[in-house]
Amino acid sequence: MIRPALLRFALLAGCLFSTAIQAKEVQLFNDKGFWSAPLQAVANAARTDGISLKISPYANAEQYKTFIQASVASGRTPELFTWWTGASLNTLAATGQLAPLDALWKEMEADGRFQPGVKELFSVGGQPYAVPLQLSRWVVLYDKRVFARLGLKPPSNWAELQTVAARIKAAGQTPFLATTQDGWRGFIWFQELLLRTDPKAYVGLNNGSVAYDSPAVRKVFSIWADMYAKGWFSDPRSNEEINDFVRGKGVMYLFGDWAVGLLGKAGFPLKELGVFILPNAPGVQQPAIIVEGAPIVVSRKGAANPDVMKTLRFWVSNQGAQTWGKASGNYIGNNKIAAPNAIVSQVNAQLAQTRHAMFLRWWEGVPTALQGEMVAEFNRFMLKPDMNTTQNVMQRMQSLNAAYWSKRKKS
Amino acid sequence: MNPLLQHDQQLLARIGLAQIKARERARQGRQFRLALRFMAPALLLVTALLLLPVLYNIWLSFTQWQLFEGRDEFAGWENYHQLWSSPYFDDALGNTALWVVASVLFPLTAGLGLALLFRQMPGQEWFKSIIFLPRILAPTAVGVMWYYVYAPQGMLNQMLGQFTSMPVETGWLFEEQLVTPAIILTFVWQSCGLVMVLLLLGLAALPRDPLDAARMDGARPWQVFRHITLPLLAPTLLMVVILSVLAGFTVFDLLWVMGANYPQQRTLSLAVFMYFEAFQKNSWAFAAATAVVIGGVVLAVTWLQTLLQARVDRMVR
Amino acid sequence: MQNLTSQQANWLALPPPASPPRWGKALCGLAIALLWLLPFSYVLLAIFKSTAEYAASPPLSLPEGVSPLLENIRMAWEQGDMAQAMLNSSLYAAVGASLAVLLAAMAAYPLARMQFRHRNLWFLLLFAGTVFPFQMYLIPLFFGFQWAELLDTHLGMCLLYTAICIPFPVLVLRNYMQNLSLEIDQAARLDGASEFTLFWRIILPNLRGPMSAVFLLQFTWIWNDMLFSSVLGNSPDTRSIMNALLVFQGSYAQSGPNIMLTAAVLASLPTLLLFVLLRRQFMQGLRV
Repeated sequence: MIRPALLRFALLAGCLFSTAIQAKEVQLFNDKGFWSAPLQAVANAARTDGISLKISPYANAEQYKTFIQASVASGRTPELFTWWTGASLNTLAATGQLAPLDALWKEMEADGRFQPGVKELFSVGGQPYAVPLQLSRWVVLYDKRVFARLGLKPPSNWAELQTVAARIKAAGQTPFLATTQDGWRGFIWFQELLLRTDPKAYVGLNNGSVAYDSPAVRKVFSIWADMYAKGWFSDPRSNEEINDFVRGKGVMYLFGDWAVGLLGKAGFPLKELGVFILPNAPGVQQPAIIVEGAPIVVSRKGAANPDVMKTLRFWVSNQGAQTWGKASGNYIGNNKIAAPNAIVSQVNAQLAQTRHAMFLRWWEGVPTALQGEMVAEFNRFMLKPDMNTTQNVMQRMQSLNAAYWSKRKKS
Repeated sequence: MNPLLQHDQQLLARIGLAQIKARERARQGRQFRLALRFMAPALLLVTALLLLPVLYNIWLSFTQWQLFEGRDEFAGWENYHQLWSSPYFDDALGNTALWVVASVLFPLTAGLGLALLFRQMPGQEWFKSIIFLPRILAPTAVGVMWYYVYAPQGMLNQMLGQFTSMPVETGWLFEEQLVTPAIILTFVWQSCGLVMVLLLLGLAALPRDPLDAARMDGARPWQVFRHITLPLLAPTLLMVVILSVLAGFTVFDLLWVMGANYPQQRTLSLAVFMYFEAFQKNSWAFAAATAVVIGGVVLAVTWLQTLLQARVDRMVR
Repeated sequence: MQNLTSQQANWLALPPPASPPRWGKALCGLAIALLWLLPFSYVLLAIFKSTAEYAASPPLSLPEGVSPLLENIRMAWEQGDMAQAMLNSSLYAAVGASLAVLLAAMAAYPLARMQFRHRNLWFLLLFAGTVFPFQMYLIPLFFGFQWAELLDTHLGMCLLYTAICIPFPVLVLRNYMQNLSLEIDQAARLDGASEFTLFWRIILPNLRGPMSAVFLLQFTWIWNDMLFSSVLGNSPDTRSIMNALLVFQGSYAQSGPNIMLTAAVLASLPTLLLFVLLRRQFMQGLRV
């Protein structure tokens, strides 16, 4: 390595602005620029424990992925960084550059901080490779004021859901808020309707055993299209979903509970915010909920660095989780501390009462190579939910899906 | 052989053809060494930081390389075959063709028109500055701004609504037939200031004598424009065309921001298609093949235009 | 020595306009200028709204007052970490653009005014650097920068921006150099001037208009770039202003659009200022 060093020396001569690479401090690479301030709050709290944590956010997910992947490809994986669960985590773990975190999880579960079941979301083949940056549940948020005015209560079964929506529509408001903002939201109602009507197909869809033009999927699209026909959804073309909820463009909002903090920031009075889990369709017994986990992972080199592991231990500690929850409104699954907001604690209570099966989002479950093209098709349907488009969307999705799985089998 | 030429050659032979050729070669060699000294710093930087990556991508386009999987076995033309059979490629190619034609045609006519309009006008510098202004802003900022012009409740629909006294809620950036023309309009708004400036710079440098002479001879303005100004301006026009072709082929930022909610965004242009393949699907080798196609076509067009320019130069001089 | 750019060529060969300026045409120009500025209105409305006000009102409604602007500026400036990013971008844009335009002018000079074999090929070689979509440079440059230990350094970013800004001015300046009359060269050569003196003392001063135009364009290009900074120089110490803006916005667009837009306006001010400063230089070459 003499030559690069020499070259660098030659290039640096005369340049006053070069920056030295800092040692000692631990960097957390991430693409969550919008959480910079809360992450910094955690870093500040960690300082008293002698941890020097630096938050290094990237502008967008694509460029961030490129940075991580190029680093992995050249064998210089960052020590500590955020990633995605599901298929993305599987691929990353398959490179062999991630450190397994069994010992840490043993500590985390031993004192009851984390319920069993959470670990699975951050594991690949039974081996945990990450701790939660956040863990959110996909639920329906609603405006209590409208419900009170119309004398409605949160639906506990499929038929009640239909009644509630019909009543809101009849009162001149739009029942559900759903947009195609930022191009990734199209799967939200699809995954929920599929899980509520056919949980088996929900799993089968992502391992190639259920087709995108199978009866289960056809049924979902027909329910969804029917809801559109009844005028139950807001204009999918809006680019300001969060603000639209504040403006009352939709009364019920199916989303991850991490939206609560955003709604508060945009000026929605949080005491008027209610929550329920979308009920199952008739014939489906097992209570279920869709969860989204964002992982923090550690490279093998990072695991050998005591500072990195110390930082990670602080993150999952009560103090760390509390600071993070207060600053960002995010829950990481630590149940020894108070929930970061009323919505999360209500969801926690409901889940403690009835055992729910946890399912990863469609987004994390679908093979990454299919993700973008498929979600674009869902969006296409939402923008034009008629017969022709529906047929065309299902056909296109199945042909992409079939091509992917047949290629997989070959290699 | 042409007898006259034969005669010339005999004449040349008598005074020593070889000597003349050698002297010419030596002169060109001297000029070349001098030229190289002028070009060296630029060449060095461009080679190290731009041409090497281009070569790397060309190599990549013949492999199966994916970032994580690290497989780099040779794949021959497979990526290029796949390109042709991709369900999005045809539309992306068609839209790119549309972009190239539009980005040559519209900014050029609009730029020339504006240059004409502002000629000898009071306060012309202010007007020119305003026309040029959008070019200075970040393309992403321009995209966001225009997103709200075209939004369903946006400025354009409100204006149309007032015009027709009916509520208009057209999704300009959501309809297959509207999205490309709408973004092209933004592009013209953003780029015709630059074309205007480049044309004006060219016009300002035109030699005065032929124009004066023509006017003395009583030529009509249109005749002067057609037969004198236009041919003299031809090199500048060609340069503007090269730049426009390049811009049309590689247009990305506007499509990225304004097309963000259009479900078939990847078909909006080849560059967008490539971005999705590279960053969303991580098929870097496949994306590299797309880039090679784009770069190859642009380079070919540029080369053609340089040849054309050489011919035009000979005509003018 | 004659100054060619000040030569007023009446390119339509029209007689000078009748003595009272044509007000009809001026009105027409005014209408076009207003139409041109219309798209800015949304931005100008949004930056005067507070976050709650923005969320509650339709995007094109008039703001209730102008006071939220100050708060928006404060939020954008502090949360967006804009000071360091502005410094970085100033460095990249100033160094990159001036070096690139100078080197490009040097390269364009022989390409326009000397005779040697394969001149067009040499030109194409220089030009070929930027015909690929820029995203494809990221991976190879990342590996290269990693090897040379240039990742996240000011030096690396300056070098890259200089290189990437060379091809366009080569194309433009070569064109305008070709247009300059060859007689001035010959006169100067008879006086015994070296090629370099000729280039420096005669060609460059005659290209003030095009040079300031391409400088401004390359400066703004570097200033507005976020792609390269986001992968090759993303640390807070080396981050460019547009990259900082996008980090601030985050992929989920969470801080209110009003603050985002205020930040975008703040980030555009320096290039606007430069344009105003250079306008005279620039417009003089455009008076026809």
